[in-house]
Amino acid sequence: MGVLFACNKLDVKPLNIIQDEDVFTTENGVNAYMATLYKALPIEDFYYRNNDGGFNRGWEHFWHPGALCGELAGPYGSLGEGAMGFGYWPYDNIRNVNYLMATLPKYAVNFDKAKVDQWLGEAYFSRAYFYFALVKRYGGVPIIKNVQDYRTPMEQLQVPRDKELEVWNFVAGDLDSAALLLPETSQRGRANKYVAAALKSRVMLYAGSIAKYGAVNYVDGEARIKGFVGIPAAEADRFFKQAWEAAHLLEGHYDLYTKKMADDKVQNYADLFLDPSSNETILARDYSLTSNTAHSWDATMICRYMTADGLSRAYPTLELVERFTGPLPIVNPDGTPHRFDSLADIMKGLEPRLLATIYFPGATLRGLTFDTQRGIYEHFSGTAEAELGVTPPNLLFRHLASNTNVLWPENTGRRVIGFTGVSTDGDNTTRTGFYVRKYIDYSKPMADCGLYKSTQSWIDLRYAEVLLNRAEAAMELGNTSDATAMINKIRNRAGAAPLSGPVTIDSVRNERCKELAFEKQYWWDIRRWRIADRILDNTRFHALLPYYLNDEKKFIFLREMETFQRPYSFEKRFYYEPLPGGELGKNPHLYPNNPNY
Amino acid sequence: MQKVIKGLLIGLSLLSIAACSKTDNYPGPDAGFMGRILDKTDPEKGNFLTETSGMQIKLEELSWSATPSPQTIPSKADGTFKDTELFSGHYRVTPTAGAFWPVAGEELDIKKGNNTHDIAVTPYLKIVNLTHRFEGSTLVMQFNLQAPVTENLPRLLDVQSFVNVTKYVGSGATIPQYTSESTMQKIAANWSDAIAQRTFEIRIPDIKEGRVFYARVGARVDDSYKQYNYSEEITVQLP
Repeated sequence: MGVLFACNKLDVKPLNIIQDEDVFTTENGVNAYMATLYKALPIEDFYYRNNDGGFNRGWEHFWHPGALCGELAGPYGSLGEGAMGFGYWPYDNIRNVNYLMATLPKYAVNFDKAKVDQWLGEAYFSRAYFYFALVKRYGGVPIIKNVQDYRTPMEQLQVPRDKELEVWNFVAGDLDSAALLLPETSQRGRANKYVAAALKSRVMLYAGSIAKYGAVNYVDGEARIKGFVGIPAAEADRFFKQAWEAAHLLEGHYDLYTKKMADDKVQNYADLFLDPSSNETILARDYSLTSNTAHSWDATMICRYMTADGLSRAYPTLELVERFTGPLPIVNPDGTPHRFDSLADIMKGLEPRLLATIYFPGATLRGLTFDTQRGIYEHFSGTAEAELGVTPPNLLFRHLASNTNVLWPENTGRRVIGFTGVSTDGDNTTRTGFYVRKYIDYSKPMADCGLYKSTQSWIDLRYAEVLLNRAEAAMELGNTSDATAMINKIRNRAGAAPLSGPVTIDSVRNERCKELAFEKQYWWDIRRWRIADRILDNTRFHALLPYYLNDEKKFIFLREMETFQRPYSFEKRFYYEPLPGGELGKNPHLYPNNPNY
Repeated sequence: MQKVIKGLLIGLSLLSIAACSKTDNYPGPDAGFMGRILDKTDPEKGNFLTETSGMQIKLEELSWSATPSPQTIPSKADGTFKDTELFSGHYRVTPTAGAFWPVAGEELDIKKGNNTHDIAVTPYLKIVNLTHRFEGSTLVMQFNLQAPVTENLPRLLDVQSFVNVTKYVGSGATIPQYTSESTMQKIAANWSDAIAQRTFEIRIPDIKEGRVFYARVGARVDDSYKQYNYSEEITVQLP
């Protein structure tokens, strides 16, 4: 008898594995599933860097992609360190999305239709985001839209690459599906109809410019001949049109942040990145101490003098500043350096947006002043140009220092360099005279500016970008009046005068570079415009270095090379990253690799 | 606690000694591959004028895999290449990433021992009639450009000077102050008769007295690699 009973019920579902019905029958279960997707979204936030793993790296936020391409002078020794990527290959996450898409409809009876639609919409949105992150790096990749079963023959699991054009179209299609399914509004940090449209405007702008400019400036190779990289130029207009339409869809639903415009334009612009209630934010990622996600932006973009911990290593270049100002008024008409009574005078009359984006010498933070000073001249005669030449006439009267203990004259004099730099040693104070201000939480007490202590949100999509996407798409389509209107909207909020003269593609791009500085967009922009190999061609970047003139008791500024004088060169093959070697090893159908790898 | 740590340390050090006692049983590299990179257009059969790593010899080991990971041998400054740590086998050999017209790869066997194989390429541009003189402390170099093949020649970018204190001189080995925006001359145009007839002049100010410098000029086109075609090096000294 005992024998007969025992075999009755052996096929019990394992209790130690979470089953589909545990997840997909309750709202909490599905939301938990969604959380893993959102967490994996390739948002290039504070943590993101171009090398060494890419997403969700440690506290060293100064490994900023802007430091690869001239926005910042930073720790990358050469461009090759970051240009070939880190083997991003999120097919595990894509599988999770596909699994949700395949499984959730089976359990749909448990929920309102609106809920199910929203979740499916979010799934389409996140799948588009993953493929966008792939296609902008590698060009064509295999499009997997179903859950692969490990029992299928190896040959079928090794899916070949799709053409680059097909992947961009696929991303557009997923974003359209998402927009159809998603509601008008969403919980903070989650997608809705307009979030999908905003992302689509970015995606389609990328596709359009790669089609247009990649047809002219490219590296030949088997992958290009087969269409795995490169898009036919004839597709450009279709993409630009979609970018424009997607951007236009947001009109009236979001707006530029102008809460404090009337009082103080600098304050308004700085707070746009710190105010959680900003109506400009379309998609944000939040951080908190309790969830152990707090980041280190405050402690790693400003030097230790003004923080509680950490160190800084990336500093805005003078080239970026000059996008706003043109040549700064540091030289008199006769060629001699202009004498300033105080460092802060350099900021007089500058655009509010610039002052809210970058800390200049003389600016203040947390009750301390950026006392940035490269050195002391006993006295200074002659022109700035002569001093920057091969045989500087005042060299013998110049004093530099590696630390703030050095005084001139010795023992009795003043500090040769400031607490905020510029040192002859190392890069833990500024190399360019400037510090990043964007996203810096200026109201946080110094004691709280430690590692993993910052909780300001990263704004992945904001309305200003959508306007810039629209302006650029309009410009590419020849609609100059729309482009002008959008650019002037941005400029007005920035506190800048309206565009003078006719709008050009260069003025649209320049506005984008200024408005989105340090938002990790510039690297992708110069890539898709296919200008990176021209503007980064053994290029060194410049600094604005303040000196104190001891006899005159005045300051001068010299336009010198940043103190490390690092050259950066962008090879044309970097317009695409190489496919990850490990994936090529697993799947020979991924060949050919991108040109010149 | 201390005992535990000591114990662990002893254990670890024993392990680390033990671990190294067995080399693998795979054969090591057994072949060398070397040769000259020739300039097809040079009547004197000279080496292609390049710099250290100014071009690459790409090797694909077809006897290992149909889709092998490519490996490259960088050129030496004198226009030769050499790698003595290779595995014998069947390879596709392609000169690439240099300032010359693309050539198709060539399949060949690299046998045990040393293999010598010369590779000929056609430069995009040649620098001819190079002369130099000093005006005060300014080194003035004059030259013309020649294009062995003009049809479909990529757009010309610029000419630039390179100066170093050793004879290894090129874009990767130059004194920055003598290779700057001010010594570069942008061309940014397609090949034309006007360019063929133009005499280029590069002026390098503030050459240091008494020192021997090695100098050369280079010209680039906007191909996939943007490498320079070089002149021969010249030795200059400001008395």
